[in-house]
Amino acid sequence: MLTTYTFHVSGTHCAACRILIEDILKEQDFVKSAKVDLKKEIVQIETDSGKDQGELAQVLNEKIKQNGYILSVEKKIQENTQDNVIWHAIPIGLVFLILFFLLQKSGILNFSIGGKTTPTTSFIIGLIASVSSCLVVVGGLILSLSAKIAEDDRELNKKPFFLFHLGRLLGFAFLGGILGLIGGAIGINFVFSAILGIIASLIMILLGINLLGILKKNTLTLPSHIFSFFRKVEHTTLAPIVVGVGTFFLPCGFTQSMQVVALSSESFTSGFLTMFAFALGTLPVLAFLSFGSISFAHSKYAPLFFKSAGVIVLGLGVFALLAGLAGLGIIDPLFNI
Amino acid sequence: MGGSNDEATRNNVGIKNGIQYVTINAGGGYYPNLSSAQAGIPTKLIVKTRGVYDCSSALFIPSINYQNILPQTGDTEIDIGIPQIGEPLRGICGMGMYNFAVNFD
Repeated sequence: MLTTYTFHVSGTHCAACRILIEDILKEQDFVKSAKVDLKKEIVQIETDSGKDQGELAQVLNEKIKQNGYILSVEKKIQENTQDNVIWHAIPIGLVFLILFFLLQKSGILNFSIGGKTTPTTSFIIGLIASVSSCLVVVGGLILSLSAKIAEDDRELNKKPFFLFHLGRLLGFAFLGGILGLIGGAIGINFVFSAILGIIASLIMILLGINLLGILKKNTLTLPSHIFSFFRKVEHTTLAPIVVGVGTFFLPCGFTQSMQVVALSSESFTSGFLTMFAFALGTLPVLAFLSFGSISFAHSKYAPLFFKSAGVIVLGLGVFALLAGLAGLGIIDPLFNI
Repeated sequence: MGGSNDEATRNNVGIKNGIQYVTINAGGGYYPNLSSAQAGIPTKLIVKTRGVYDCSSALFIPSINYQNILPQTGDTEIDIGIPQIGEPLRGICGMGMYNFAVNFD
């Protein structure tokens, strides 16, 4: 005989959590159906087990506890695991941030390459750029978007990431070619890229807070048009490509130097090759960031990963915002890394 | 003012033919980070780059509205006019990561 029980569930911070909890619960032989209502934070199960609700709560809680959720008969006012995860995530995120800034400070990346810029040197410059301060904006944006998409989409959907990187590679190549074609006719506009950088940093801060889930209802409600932008990034073909191409204009000293090289080459082919080789050089680290995110997001470390990523993204976002404002001369520079 | 002035250097400042030259090396930041020079005489900044591709090659000096991508290797001369006392010159890279200042006294 089937009985329906309603439990309270806490620790749910994303749409994907619903599917995850339902899957875990349905794996149990005695659970015939499970349905999570995220808004009410309840889960309804149909079961043929003879156990009473208290026993069931205990058994099922064991199963979902490791993923950071708590099932209970009574509504829990304060959830504890959520807090535990965040206390692990903050030091992890901070260690990453500190290591990153130490790497910048260390001077290891202050190389110099003399002579003519060839596609080979462009590739090497790309490799270095991808672990340099450019990572603050471009990498931070990729990490935040990847984690956000992975969090919203429980299906292992790698398509937007492939499209993003494809867009970035081809966008850099073609725009580089166009720069070469135009030659010295145009300048690269600092203000334009600084404003783009500030927009990117605001997106990072927003997504960082969202990933951390520190606000009241565990999610910061994004304005609906921004939300629909993310849905587009996730589910259309064009949007990830456009975002990938758009990274060409994000502020990054290395990118800007390479754009000047492409400009002064005064030929479509060499501009194309220079920027393509540069983008190719940045690919390993950026691909690791995005594909690494989805691997982590589908492991049992997912809650920890999302929160650590949130700390990192928030830190980078604040840094990029302050640097961007200083770059525009709005505030005095606060850092000198 | 006092604290930061202590670290300011004058080693990179020289006067030739009535023009004061302040030399800054760009690459992984700007060095020296803080310099002191004389106010009231025509002054030029020389920014040296040696195989530089990082942010410091994208130089922005808000007070004279100078923005330029420096050559990968070369010496770039920037005319900053006649600086006044107490109006330090601040340069910053395009992303705002690196900066330098020259005080005038």
